[in-house]
Amino acid sequence: MTATLTTCPYCGTGCNFYLLRDEDGRLTGVEPAGNHPTSRGQLCIKGWNAHAFVEHPDRLTIPQIRTKGNLQPVDWQTALDLIHEKLSGIAEKHGPDSLMFLSSAKVSNEENYLLMKLARAGYGTNNIDHCARLCHSSTVTGLVETLGSGAMTNSLSCFDETELIFVIGSNTTEQHPLIGSRILQAVWRGAKLIVADSRKIRLARHADLHLRHMNGTDVALLNGLMRQILLEGLENRSFIESRTENFAALEKSLAPFHPEYVGKVTGLLPEQIVSAARMYAEAEKAMIVYAMGITQHSHGVDNVRAVSNLALLTGNLGRPGTGVNPLRGQNNVQGACDMGALPDVYSGYQRVSDPAARLKFSAAWQTRLPEKPGLMSTHAIEAAAAGKIRGMLILGENPMLSDANQNLVRQALEKLEFLVVIDIFPTETAQLADVVLPAACYAERDGTFTSTERRVQRGRKALTPPGEAQADWQILCALLQRCGVNADYVEPGEIMAEISRLTPSYAGISYARLEGNGLQWPCPDAQHPGTPILHREQCARGKGRFSPVAYRPPKELPDASYPLLLNTGRIGIHWHTGSMTRRSHLLDREERSAFVEINPEDAEKLQVRTRQQVKISSRRGAIQAAAKLTERVPPGQIFIPFHFAEGAANALTNNALDPESGIPEFKVCAVRIDPC
Amino acid sequence: MLKRLVERDLYDLLGRIADSYRLRVPGLLDDGTRTLLPWDGQQISLFGEPPQRKPTAYFFPQTDPLLKIDPRGQATSAAVAEKPFALFGLDSIDLAALAFTDRFFSNPPPDDHYLRRRNGALLIGLTGYAGPSREFLPLVKGNCDLELIACGEYWLARAGCKSADHWLAHYPHGDQEQLAVLQRESAQWNHWAAVAVQQAMELLQQDLVPDSFWEEIASRCILCSGCNLACPTCTCFCVQDRQTATGTVRSRVWDSCQLDAFMREASGHNPLGTEALRTRRRIYHKLVADPERWGEPGCVLCGRCDRACPTGIGMFAVTKEIVSRFAISSPD
Ligand code: SF4
Ligand code: SF4
Ligand code: SF4
Repeated sequence: MTATLTTCPYCGTGCNFYLLRDEDGRLTGVEPAGNHPTSRGQLCIKGWNAHAFVEHPDRLTIPQIRTKGNLQPVDWQTALDLIHEKLSGIAEKHGPDSLMFLSSAKVSNEENYLLMKLARAGYGTNNIDHCARLCHSSTVTGLVETLGSGAMTNSLSCFDETELIFVIGSNTTEQHPLIGSRILQAVWRGAKLIVADSRKIRLARHADLHLRHMNGTDVALLNGLMRQILLEGLENRSFIESRTENFAALEKSLAPFHPEYVGKVTGLLPEQIVSAARMYAEAEKAMIVYAMGITQHSHGVDNVRAVSNLALLTGNLGRPGTGVNPLRGQNNVQGACDMGALPDVYSGYQRVSDPAARLKFSAAWQTRLPEKPGLMSTHAIEAAAAGKIRGMLILGENPMLSDANQNLVRQALEKLEFLVVIDIFPTETAQLADVVLPAACYAERDGTFTSTERRVQRGRKALTPPGEAQADWQILCALLQRCGVNADYVEPGEIMAEISRLTPSYAGISYARLEGNGLQWPCPDAQHPGTPILHREQCARGKGRFSPVAYRPPKELPDASYPLLLNTGRIGIHWHTGSMTRRSHLLDREERSAFVEINPEDAEKLQVRTRQQVKISSRRGAIQAAAKLTERVPPGQIFIPFHFAEGAANALTNNALDPESGIPEFKVCAVRIDPC
Repeated sequence: MLKRLVERDLYDLLGRIADSYRLRVPGLLDDGTRTLLPWDGQQISLFGEPPQRKPTAYFFPQTDPLLKIDPRGQATSAAVAEKPFALFGLDSIDLAALAFTDRFFSNPPPDDHYLRRRNGALLIGLTGYAGPSREFLPLVKGNCDLELIACGEYWLARAGCKSADHWLAHYPHGDQEQLAVLQRESAQWNHWAAVAVQQAMELLQQDLVPDSFWEEIASRCILCSGCNLACPTCTCFCVQDRQTATGTVRSRVWDSCQLDAFMREASGHNPLGTEALRTRRRIYHKLVADPERWGEPGCVLCGRCDRACPTGIGMFAVTKEIVSRFAISSPD
């Protein structure tokens, strides 16, 4: 028996566990790490089942090339040569910016770094992005502007000492279960809890105040809270004066948001806004926790600005038990951003438009680098549909199920001259590819992952990949070498050494130092102990900046032909597009197929019974799913998780994008339900 | 027969056992988690917290292939390693859990797959001053093949059955007087949670705990399944079939009664269809159903579910709450 300590491949909480193997090398299960600061001998159900998909017979084991319409096995050399020939051919003929590279929040920091190096140094384009575009791009844009850093400001241990937690747009017990449980523990300890969510999520049952505001009205709600705080003199004057700027503009912008008006927009009672404002502002230490309910809107960046304004107004920043705490979804979405798998920055958020940064990376990689920021993934899909992006490499993502407006995505991917997909399973996206490469999964390779609290931790190889599958870093090295870029790393630790040389916030990070509980960035030098709390003496940008925002309604609201509001997201049992969890027996058994949550009131009007198949349509598509009658959703709203290919929520969603972050409006669109 | 072993003897004994068994001994994993690990002659963790992984997992692993069915429909049982396990480092609680599980799987019709691993295995207790910070762990009454009783610098050793006597044959005799002292200490030893669990059990048996209580507890459950997966007396599993190129592999996988699909019928009807019912069942099964069936509760007081539960509603926490709310007079 062996026990290999590694980082959970699912959410960004960053739990650690041991993968257990028997004498025959078979994975037999997982055991939570007893002394790890996040897991503490505990896991959520996905963590407890994280071994289950690894040895699934559907794993991709051999490179494949599409010949005469079908994917056929080939050797690695042929597949890699073809990829390079096609990608460089397209770049030569149509310019490097006709290529797009999609990286993954599921692969390691080292692999994200290598893919952005491949796009930039190998093929000469900044067209690289990853699924943070779909989850926290609004956070990165909004918090960089207001605070100077786009990451969670505080640490998970802060939940143990805070007085109040304000959860807005995060179903924490399902999506970050071991953070959700810490919030519940804080409530037993006596901390107050405010939950703002239109759905009756589990946390709401334990909240002192549950604000069921209408989806997409967060700006109105947050501005309303701030106006009330100012009205009652509950703001933190000394913090505002010493640590912030642009307060006058904020104050002015809040004028229209009196409780009656906010009540009308949000559907809340004016008294609820008043008491939430008091409760939050009166706490000595209050944490704001948010996730997709804030970010996934056509005004996602504005939502983030409003959250940040609220924390600044009350001085809830830079101290234990406070902060603006976006919870990052995937286990390495923080790291993928940190590594520069984004169109406008290199690793450590160094801008490609900054000549000094460009010079630094050019010198290190010994090549000229493009200066024009690249395309966001959501724009790249539009560009591909318009024939402007012609070649695409997708590493470990499944946009066919995860991106808004599936018809558009299909059209875009089918139109490409050449599509490469590197993955562990034959996903819906891989089925459209010209070349599919089999990758090692988390359990079969070494690397590092950065959790939501900026904790850089080791993932460790517990077994060898199936068949001929290879680690992503090895595949990317082979492509880099074909581009003539030096990539002779023997193991991922050497890639991390290069990352730390070029990335100030990771400068003190090395594999040797990550033994134990990892390190929280910024970690600027080899002696630095890491940074559990950001913005302590001053914000990363200097003064915290108030950034006033106006309320804009969502792009598509229910009307006579599409009378219901569709909210989408995930459930606790499954993960994203289901490629892993639907292949894990216990998880698959728990929730087997597509469903739609409908309020019993609406169900009665529609004459829909529980478990009945219904047709749900929007202006972009139609799907079928089984009705689940529940009070969790308010009347007028339905909820569909996006895990299920056979009832793909994203066939319905609206690809209306936030103008700054390019995030789609996953949380609001108009739909209709008809019996099948 | 009572023997006295110094550390060198202990390692010598384990070395001899390792020749014919797959020996597992307490050790520390990379982050300091104490658990039973294969022995490669390294330093053994001779006292500390109980091993985190439940000992029953050696005979009933989380994922366990049972048989393979080839394309012609021919079924072959999954092979089991030839060498049996020897588990060293079990306290009286873990040995009670193994006895409980043994009885469950041996009860007709016997579970061959479990018994193939369990039969011939050697269970070695580690008691006496072997707890965390050398706290006292009560001696065991049977339930094991060998027992090593930590007494500071040396161990008293005794065999739990005649057939294990030979392992100890060539060590010097131990002091019977000292054993008697330790036995008296064991007789006085009480698990800190035992009273509350016992009282809660009585309250449950008398049906004095209302449904609203279970609703409240269930509302705190985040459905992680950890309480069941960590529990050494939980034996529920589900069956996983996987089609491969060479046939179908059937395995069993640890299940959890906290999950909605645990009892859900194909029609969608679910006799345990609410979280409150499932949470009630988790405690009820151990404290009401098991005593009816086996004459003793299914909870051996190991504390693993309390440790694994992220929201603090393991067995000890729930029973404590039951007692404080529903007992006529609360425990002192
Ligand atoms: S909470 Fe997140 S990191 Fe922890 S076990 Fe669950 S999925 Fe994995
Ligand atoms: S304490 Fe919990 S884990 Fe241990 S036997 Fe009792 S119910 Fe099972
Ligand atoms: S360990 Fe706790 S949270 Fe997890 S399923 Fe059991 S009772 Fe629920």
